[in-house]
Amino acid sequence: MGAGKIERIEAEPRELPAALSRLRGEGYSHLITITGLDEGDSIGLIYHLARPGGGVAHLHASVAKGGEAPSAIGVFRGAYIYEMEVHDMFGLRFSGNPHMGRRLLLPDCYPEDEPPLLKDTDPGRVREKLFAPGTVCLQGPPVSGLSRYSPESIAVPFGPYHPAFKEPEHFTLIVEGERILDAIPRIGFVHRGVEKAAEQRSYLRDIFLLERICGICSMHHGLTFTLAVEKLLGLEAPERAEYIRTLVAELERIHSHTLWLGLVGYWMGFETMFMWVLTVRETIMDLIELVSGNRVHKSIVTIGGVRRDVEGEKLRRVGEKIRGFEKEFSRLIGDILSLDEFIERTSGIGSYTAEDARALSTVGPVRRAVGDPYDIRKVEPYCAYGDLDFKVVTGDRGDVYSLVQVRAGEVLESIHMVEQIVDHMPPGNPVPKRPFMGVVKPGEAYARTEAPRGELFHYVRSAGKHSPDRVKVRTPTLANIMLAAHALRGQTVSDVPLVITMIDPCFSCMDRVLVADAGSGRRRILTEADFHRMRRRW
Amino acid sequence: MTVEKAARKLGPARRSLWIYHFNASGCNGCDIEFAAALTSRYDIERFGAKLVPSPRHADVLVVTGAVNSLTRDSLRMIYDQMPEPKVVIALGTCACSGGVFDGCYNVAGGVDKVIPVDIYVPGCPPKPDAIVEALARIRGVKERKAVCEVKRGGRGKD
Repeated sequence: MGAGKIERIEAEPRELPAALSRLRGEGYSHLITITGLDEGDSIGLIYHLARPGGGVAHLHASVAKGGEAPSAIGVFRGAYIYEMEVHDMFGLRFSGNPHMGRRLLLPDCYPEDEPPLLKDTDPGRVREKLFAPGTVCLQGPPVSGLSRYSPESIAVPFGPYHPAFKEPEHFTLIVEGERILDAIPRIGFVHRGVEKAAEQRSYLRDIFLLERICGICSMHHGLTFTLAVEKLLGLEAPERAEYIRTLVAELERIHSHTLWLGLVGYWMGFETMFMWVLTVRETIMDLIELVSGNRVHKSIVTIGGVRRDVEGEKLRRVGEKIRGFEKEFSRLIGDILSLDEFIERTSGIGSYTAEDARALSTVGPVRRAVGDPYDIRKVEPYCAYGDLDFKVVTGDRGDVYSLVQVRAGEVLESIHMVEQIVDHMPPGNPVPKRPFMGVVKPGEAYARTEAPRGELFHYVRSAGKHSPDRVKVRTPTLANIMLAAHALRGQTVSDVPLVITMIDPCFSCMDRVLVADAGSGRRRILTEADFHRMRRRW
Repeated sequence: MTVEKAARKLGPARRSLWIYHFNASGCNGCDIEFAAALTSRYDIERFGAKLVPSPRHADVLVVTGAVNSLTRDSLRMIYDQMPEPKVVIALGTCACSGGVFDGCYNVAGGVDKVIPVDIYVPGCPPKPDAIVEALARIRGVKERKAVCEVKRGGRGKD
């Protein structure tokens, strides 16, 4: 199952690295994330570790507030990003992590003394401080210590608002001529504070809030949260509801992957392909609207089932249209993949190895494109995936071309899954009599699903109230962004949009990254007034 | 302000609308629906509308998402860079009022907290049809019926 109650393995804070490396030796080689908890006098840390073949372990330690925990970067290279997140959200420091003291998600002007996820932090008070007149939050790129690259290197800021980005993000590119020596992302431009808001809403309203983390994998956020809450309640959705959930999840995967394919065309300057792919994709948008009533935020999942049934006539139309889509899509992908220009523009661009992918804890198609069949739908089947016949599509060399192949293959697999669901929809009533408005017994549970971009993880803790005590979300882009920064090294500046698009980033989802190291060195942040003073008069 | 006022603001010259799109911490939902409006099925290009990479070339600023502490200053700067006359469209419920994120610690609220907004297009997200209609009406296609007919023509058999 992709969800379960949490059985903690306890550890003392100072033993954390040893306990983690012991678990790693037992096969738990994938660090999903680190969850922070406000436990009153102390901060709880839960390290969620997964085996590639299935099974999750949860290692827990309590650290006194204001104390320090040892960093896990010696055991898991990718851990530092999750430690920075806990540092941002709870103010806890990790000794041995070189990035402490730098913000990951929060703006630099965020008040030091009020970490947002502590229980006594009032969002209204923080807002007043953040939006007080005169506060300047816009920051310059963290660049200093350039000389360690080469005497000729310069830093090129890229973003946050750049014609080549659809979403705000900032990359500092250290370049020598056209070659990129290093890429330093700074994220947080889409940070809204969803995890805090989720603690203040009821379980039912949280589904709608969490769906709005991301407009592309929207349904997977609602689904993953619901699966975790259902575990806490000891509830199982009717079989027909599980099938409808799977149907919408697979339609969402098709729509997300085709959108990505269109964007690849757009960033390589092949606008015809963009228009063509997006036109074909409208068939899927129609099906999503037909099934759920909405095009983007599907809002079909609810605790204990789905919000509306998909009757026989609708199912028949889904089956009919998806076959038409398959024909169109096969022709489209056949044409695109046989174009010499396309092959040359994508082969060898942004290449990475299986070792890179594993060491940086990547997930989803990015990991499968180097031949690692890590797919939660197979590893821990949830919803109706256990009953469906599908194969995990893998590639053999990690680059933009093999990612196009993998995602196109996944679209075809999803189409077959949709056909199977249409043919074998079980009978029954999938809609619960009343929406869930009750109290959830104290406890904690997790769920993970395979969102279009990869493994999505939700942790939910209940204290026996109408609203959750803590909701933690680890989105696939956060796990993958490191790889994009890694793959940018050695590429040329003209390939930047293509390489960043390669991982199918969703910055709304992630909204939680800064990598980087660039020495410290105090830098001055220029205010808008400074710019006005300095700008050239024309 | 209404759509008609915005149309008057742009003056009698029936110009093509050049659009600059700004994501102020949106969830991507409005952004992909806006992208869909650009493509062949909805095709806002038939009203002369096109996406431009610089605010200095734009007549219309389309903002998606609620404004947060990091995007607030950028949004104001981008608005200041646009030449007059300019029209601002708040696309989606978050851009209109803060939506589901209103009250979050890092969210200031709707776009009108920072810059003046001419047209509000609510919806979570608004369908591309609504985006097409807003643009068509600024452009001077006054009757709703005309917009709908064109739209249906573009949607194929359904």
